[in-house]
Amino acid sequence: MKECDQMDEINHKTTIYEPNKYLKRGIKIWKDMFLELMESRELVWRLFVRNLSAKYRQSILGYVWFLLMPFIAIGTFMYLNRVGIVNIDTVDIPYPLFALIGLTIWQLFSTGIVSGTNSIVSAGSMVVKINFPRESLVFSSMAQGLFEFMVKSVLIVIFFFIFKVVPSPWGLLFPVAVLPIIILTVGLSLILSLVNGVLRDTANAVSLLTTFLMFLTPVLYPISATKSIYLKLNPLIPLVNTPRDLLVYGSIKEPVEFCVATIISVVVLLCAWRIFHLVETKIPERL
Amino acid sequence: MNDILISAKNVGKKFSKSLKRSMFYGVTDVMMNAVGIECKSENLRAGEFWAVDDVSFELKKGETLGIIGPNGSGKSTFLKMLNGIYMPDKGRIEMQGRVGALIEVGAGFHPMLSGRENIYINGTILGMTKREIDEKFDEIVEFADIGDFIDSPVKYYSSGMYVRLGLSIAININPEILLIDEVLSVGDLSFQNKSLRKLAALRDNAHAVVFVSHNLRHVSDLCDRVIILNAGRQEFTGDPKTAIIKYEKLSRKISLHAAHKNNSDGIDLRISSGEEIEYVDCGLLDVSGRKTSRVSIDEPLIQFCDFILNNDVAGLYFSISIYDQHKRPCLWSVSSDMEDCKFDDFKKGKYRIIVRYESHCLMPGIYLPSIAIRNNSTGETYERILLKDSIEIVGEMPSRGIVNTEKEWSLIEL
Repeated sequence: MKECDQMDEINHKTTIYEPNKYLKRGIKIWKDMFLELMESRELVWRLFVRNLSAKYRQSILGYVWFLLMPFIAIGTFMYLNRVGIVNIDTVDIPYPLFALIGLTIWQLFSTGIVSGTNSIVSAGSMVVKINFPRESLVFSSMAQGLFEFMVKSVLIVIFFFIFKVVPSPWGLLFPVAVLPIIILTVGLSLILSLVNGVLRDTANAVSLLTTFLMFLTPVLYPISATKSIYLKLNPLIPLVNTPRDLLVYGSIKEPVEFCVATIISVVVLLCAWRIFHLVETKIPERL
Repeated sequence: MNDILISAKNVGKKFSKSLKRSMFYGVTDVMMNAVGIECKSENLRAGEFWAVDDVSFELKKGETLGIIGPNGSGKSTFLKMLNGIYMPDKGRIEMQGRVGALIEVGAGFHPMLSGRENIYINGTILGMTKREIDEKFDEIVEFADIGDFIDSPVKYYSSGMYVRLGLSIAININPEILLIDEVLSVGDLSFQNKSLRKLAALRDNAHAVVFVSHNLRHVSDLCDRVIILNAGRQEFTGDPKTAIIKYEKLSRKISLHAAHKNNSDGIDLRISSGEEIEYVDCGLLDVSGRKTSRVSIDEPLIQFCDFILNNDVAGLYFSISIYDQHKRPCLWSVSSDMEDCKFDDFKKGKYRIIVRYESHCLMPGIYLPSIAIRNNSTGETYERILLKDSIEIVGEMPSRGIVNTEKEWSLIEL
């Protein structure tokens, strides 16, 4: 933990390393964690730019690649729907638009959690050699997901024009409505990236589970959380449904579920962040 | 006390030898910490050992501390603890000011990105703000001496350029505390000298430096104090000269131990015709005539060889030598070279040949005795032996070069 010590004429930072040092700080740690993140926001930004600019540097299509995935998924489902293998409940907006919005929100979660889980291990050589705030790796991988989200949002606007659908003015709240799913993603990523540091099985399990989860979530076809008690247990359903409903209809169909899911997300983030902070010092020696 | 920049008290770090155990302990530790239970980290669990154990020191402004020790003695682990990468399992480290580490520089470089981009990324990772990097940018590029390559991806850099760039970034963040691990051996001589100059300048600006190296000359030139680590323990702390002598003694002990461990008959190389001569023993004698394996630098060196002659031989000559650890001959005496030592008309029997050097001039170190017995008239080699059983010359003196004689320095202006 870094503290400012005004005693000297120069502003000296005192650094203390000892076993279990973070445990001793109790409740004050939340403030410290937030300040530390603020201090390292430039680092988060640099890491994000670094990953982004390196990712597609040796490719011709470049950023087009992450736009291809939603198109292929939507195309597949349109085909499956047309030939009648999968029967999608009629949605009252054009299906491609419905699916694109769903996928855009979903991929915030799925790409965020997959790259977040891997973020510490894939920066392993750096983590064991340089001392820097490790949560910046997780946050910057989320920033990557956010960037892709923004590009796809432009695509959504274009789709609204193509299909001549008028979005609801409440749709301006869309960025706010996706916040809970972002919070949940960051929270889960913080925990999973740590576990992945010790057990590499985590990354495989996560990518398997997210694929599976997508079919239990109203991404490519509508599911309402109110329908079944089991579906109520999946907080992702209202988190995906609500922003889309706001954007398309201007109304929230599952207000209670959405609120509960939001609270769950915030609690997950706060706990996960705290745990991350407590145990991040144990990670370099296990990498 | 504000001029103490680093204070380490009874610092220890444990590791586990097996991966499975390490994973298991990792999971339990993480779980316990996650729910807020303190790990009893000062006790060893099964399969664990202390990689660093009970190290303490204080370092003031402007001081340079050297850490030396044999491989695996915990030097790098200790440096990583100072750098905050590993948390100590016991004890406490307290540091004042920004810490810069030259530990495996260039970590965090992205191979696809240009040198320019990597300077900004690496600088930020090491804790600089964008403005600071902007200010230092030209200095970093100039120091790294990579010229036009600054805008090429670093994967096209030569390994020297790569390390130079990394070192240049790390050294230019102007830390109050600088941790250096063996990196001064990178680059050519001119870059090494440049780094040494920069280091001296940093030290003069009241920075504290912790320096880990195998290069004893750098250690003795740069450091005010030296710690010897051996198997994680702080064996010695004190002035560099004494430390280096102690360290050389320690490393002799270790290589002697290793040499004794892996020999069975003590013979490294043996060429023997077998019939004429039977080799019995060979080695060193102390002044009272007992066999020994240690001789001090100021004692006479007495080498002997016992052998049994199976037949009468007209004449023999002996070639007795001492090799250093790199198998370079250091002392080599051939009996036939001397006019007055002819060994003729041997009868059947047991003999001991002795050669005595009143002052041998050898440096402290580990040596191997060797002997050859040949026929005087035909030149036939009866026996040639190089022993693996090393002998040790002991003395309190830094060992540079091969021999040591009386010397006197003088400086004359021309």
